[in-house]
Amino acid sequence: MSTLSIYSEEELVLLLKQRSESAFNYLYQNYANVLYGVVRKVIFDEQTAQDVLQDVFVKIWNNIGQYDAAKGRIYTWMINIARNAAIDKLRSKGEVMKGKIQTGDDAVSNVGKGMSTEQSTDTIGLRKNVGNLKPEYRAIVELAYFKGYTLDEISKTLDIPLGTVKTRMRHAIQLLREHYKQ
Amino acid sequence: MNIQEYIESGILEAYVLGSLPESEHARVAADIAQYPELASEVAAIEDTMWMVAQAGAEEPPAALKDKIWAQLNKEETKEEAAVQPAHKTIPLAGSRSYNLRWQRAAIWIALVGSMLVNFILWSQRTNTESAQVAMKEQLDTMQHQLAMLQSSTQKQGEMLADSNMQTVVMQSMKPGHPMAATIYWNKVNGNTYLAFQKMPPPPTGMQYQMWVIQDGKPVSMGTLDKNLGLAQVSKLPMEVKAGQAFAISLEKEGGNPTPTEVYVLGKIS
Repeated sequence: MSTLSIYSEEELVLLLKQRSESAFNYLYQNYANVLYGVVRKVIFDEQTAQDVLQDVFVKIWNNIGQYDAAKGRIYTWMINIARNAAIDKLRSKGEVMKGKIQTGDDAVSNVGKGMSTEQSTDTIGLRKNVGNLKPEYRAIVELAYFKGYTLDEISKTLDIPLGTVKTRMRHAIQLLREHYKQ
Repeated sequence: MNIQEYIESGILEAYVLGSLPESEHARVAADIAQYPELASEVAAIEDTMWMVAQAGAEEPPAALKDKIWAQLNKEETKEEAAVQPAHKTIPLAGSRSYNLRWQRAAIWIALVGSMLVNFILWSQRTNTESAQVAMKEQLDTMQHQLAMLQSSTQKQGEMLADSNMQTVVMQSMKPGHPMAATIYWNKVNGNTYLAFQKMPPPPTGMQYQMWVIQDGKPVSMGTLDKNLGLAQVSKLPMEVKAGQAFAISLEKEGGNPTPTEVYVLGKIS
């Protein structure tokens, strides 16, 4: 990641609104890898993932005026655009099959069997960092974050009460939070 | 609201992960705007999720950057192109005089037509607006009537509950004309209240007059407001210490010293 120029959130928003090439360069340099990572967690096929990433940049570029700083950080906004674009693609195309092989469903069935797999750990890119996040927590974060499931859907998929989904979600993120603090 | 419980519930995590239904998402957003503790918790969750995303970062092929930039530029030009035709001028050429006459006629027809449509739309809108105003007025009146009815019902209820209050129902003295009005009489302090249950509005030039019969003689308690509604309960101006009956008669405007035509009468038991 470049350290040449670091903008605050407000500056980045202003920069993007200018629609200059340097704004794009900054955006791409600082966010392309993360956003591509997010897309790839959902879309296995590299070519499709690249198409989605392109759509994501177009959306960020065209909709920056709709970003509301009061509702959250700019990177959360961008990650959500990436995630939603990927999920939409997955749902609309034959990507469904490939996606199933790669992500959530595996994790879920494995939680059911009470075991963790290397693959599902890796799909949220945490293997290096959070090897000890228990599968039941991981599954919830995965389903919510990378599959776009609502609380209700998670509750039904994993067959656990809604309140438990929420508290586990909190617990999982607490663990991650502590981990990244160090 | 208990902030700590709110935070512990995990709803903020669900908010950041985008797992809440739309209505709940909006509600939480409003709460966050109101409570700074919630906002800072959300910021911490967002930071964590950003680090999770960073940990999973993956480098796209180098060629993609130029491709995306080209695409963004294409989008720009597409937008500009969409604006372009408005700037174009129509070339004036060809067999001019003949064409021009038709063009002028066409423009006039279009202009008059558009004005006509505008006028029709405008008058329709005005109609709708005035209908709306009338409807609102009607609604206001109804609301007012309802409020009056409610307070009157409540008042009558309270009076009936008062053990000092004696209820005297006055009934029709004219066969074939069912009428009714009620007097609520407090024997202790002499206060009297009147409520119409079924009384025709007095004919023009006439007025109802209230009477109490004391020692066999009618004593006037005053004339009644012509606009006395059916729902209203009104306090009568005279204190009544004793009596055998109450009555209402129809009199000429301003009243009479003695009743001419008694409409309703109720004996005090």
